[in-house]
Amino acid sequence: MSLWNILLDTLTQGSIYFLIAVGLTMVYGILKILHIAHAAVYTIGAGVGLAVFKLTGSFWLALIAAMLVSGLVGVIIYRGVYFYMLDQPRIVPLITSVGLFLLIEDLLQKPYLMGPYQHAFPAQEVFPSITLPWGTIPNAQVMILTLTGVALVALYLIFTRTRLGLAWQAAAQDREMAGSVGINLNRAIALNFLLGSALAGAAGVLVGVFYNSVYATMGDVPSYKAFVVIVLGGMGSVTGTLAASFLLAFAETVLLASVGYVLPRDAIAFLVLIFVLMFRPQGLLGR
Amino acid sequence: MRSQKLLVILLVLSLLVVLAGGCGQSKPKSYKIGLFSPTTGFAAADGTSALHGAELAVQYINDHGGINGVKVELVHYDDAAKPDQAVNVAHKLIEQDKVIAAVSGSYSGATRAASAVFQDAGVPMVAAYAVHPEITKTGDKIWRVGTLAVVEGKVGGALAVDKLGAKKIALLTIDNDFGTSLANAFKEYVTAKGAEIVFEEKYPLGEKEFRPILNRIKEANPDVVYASGYYNEAANIVRQAKEVGLNAQIIGQEGYDSPKFLELAGDAAEGVIITTDLNRDSDREITQWFIKTYKEKYNLDADMVGASTFDAVMVLAYAIEKGGTKADGIVKALGELKDFEKAATGPFYKFTPGREVMRPLGAQVVKGGAFHFFAEFDDPALITPPW
Repeated sequence: MSLWNILLDTLTQGSIYFLIAVGLTMVYGILKILHIAHAAVYTIGAGVGLAVFKLTGSFWLALIAAMLVSGLVGVIIYRGVYFYMLDQPRIVPLITSVGLFLLIEDLLQKPYLMGPYQHAFPAQEVFPSITLPWGTIPNAQVMILTLTGVALVALYLIFTRTRLGLAWQAAAQDREMAGSVGINLNRAIALNFLLGSALAGAAGVLVGVFYNSVYATMGDVPSYKAFVVIVLGGMGSVTGTLAASFLLAFAETVLLASVGYVLPRDAIAFLVLIFVLMFRPQGLLGR
Repeated sequence: MRSQKLLVILLVLSLLVVLAGGCGQSKPKSYKIGLFSPTTGFAAADGTSALHGAELAVQYINDHGGINGVKVELVHYDDAAKPDQAVNVAHKLIEQDKVIAAVSGSYSGATRAASAVFQDAGVPMVAAYAVHPEITKTGDKIWRVGTLAVVEGKVGGALAVDKLGAKKIALLTIDNDFGTSLANAFKEYVTAKGAEIVFEEKYPLGEKEFRPILNRIKEANPDVVYASGYYNEAANIVRQAKEVGLNAQIIGQEGYDSPKFLELAGDAAEGVIITTDLNRDSDREITQWFIKTYKEKYNLDADMVGASTFDAVMVLAYAIEKGGTKADGIVKALGELKDFEKAATGPFYKFTPGREVMRPLGAQVVKGGAFHFFAEFDDPALITPPW
């Protein structure tokens, strides 16, 4: 297998991991909550995206609708649930989050919502495939790579160039102190959930199109895999999450492309995690 | 006065006894057949197809006068494809609902667990599409209408080398009992015929990202890729094979046999050939009735899982009609079954002493977004179950 294929597969797989995990990292950074139900928000995004795509035939409308609805669901989860648990021990929101995830997933599986079946999301043609001198990038991969690129730039600008980004950074360092110097914490946290969940919704649509399948239990693997990514990256560090996403994708791709499935994909991920934590207990870029 | 009163009471009592006795003599209101299949959880799609298939069988039987004039009633519970839940459901079907016989519309793990309960209780059970060899070895009450993976693998081999003339073959196998049995039987057949296995790899259930593996298969340059898996893995395999430019003929098996495979794989499914026991182009009356009614009733195309569960109920109804409602009679009738025509995936020639069904197996090719007839395998050397 050529270097080009390894590079391409690593970049796509890493982008997918990043889009799903970045919202979790943001939530953890500011609230120190392990937000398992994020995986359900991702599924909701995929479902809404597919429904809008079927209605309108427009991929872009579907993406926007998915991000809006997922973002709102994220805010509702924060204001309706976690908001009341901020002063509780961490185990309380964690368990609530697991329950919430299972509840939403079971609801989505009802016949009047997504039902038991997988559904095709045939929007791959929206993007062209690009032929470069050393190989071709198929259209679905062009989509993942460009949109992840856009999200990365946007996140970078928001975090470094806006007051909101500063407020998030301050709140992540010390929530009470940030509140006492006049940062509107409720607004900052709600916006944090809005953006993180909207990105999960976008990830749902992209993964749905990429694998041409959307279904109620598609959040099962991300619900635990995303945690490998954020722990590996250093809890709460967005750049760390980025690094971890691509490191994991690289390890998995290289192993599968050279020796094959000596281990299941997820086992590779956990081995990488254990190995890194042995030398850097705080994660790749954690403090 | 006192004695008169006593007499009246005695008369009323004796009348009640006579009435109650009379009731016992008359026909029961219905025959209950139990079904367990996963309608929630990761296997919900197959479990729902199984439920549909069983419902259609009951509809067919009752529309044709029931069993000796008695209606069939289906009792269904969800086992979520989990062995522990399947055991609970089996107890419920036996003790609470007192079913005459049961059908498994679930996966191998759950079916194995439940079959022990049915065997112990002496209630006959027919497995629809669970393929683990151990299921029927549980005991004399446990039967199966699905095709064993060893038979299907051999037929896949015959398809590859005898029908398609493959010389260099790549194997991409799903890492579970089903995939392993298929691959072993396939390999044995094709290597005996002089074909060469140029690539072999296993992948875990639920995998979505096959590009790294498919790129390696492409380098091995096979004529045929024998890829096992269920419809979601299969759809990703054929889509991504097209993307990486792997043009070898892909041969699948009944795991692909779902309208969802066609939907998810889209154009990439064209030309894929699978071995399966549901022939869409069959001119048999029961198969056409099944395919047509399934589509009308559920607004979905029928699949192998639904058809197999349909057949499991049909074959049980036949056995109850022939052998009565006692377990021994049902078991005896199944053992003596010959050329059973009322099966959507049939005909069933007979059951072997190991309680496996012997029947022809077909190959279907995807053309114009639908499965169509490609070949039929009827050679006893190929289709006879090994026990």
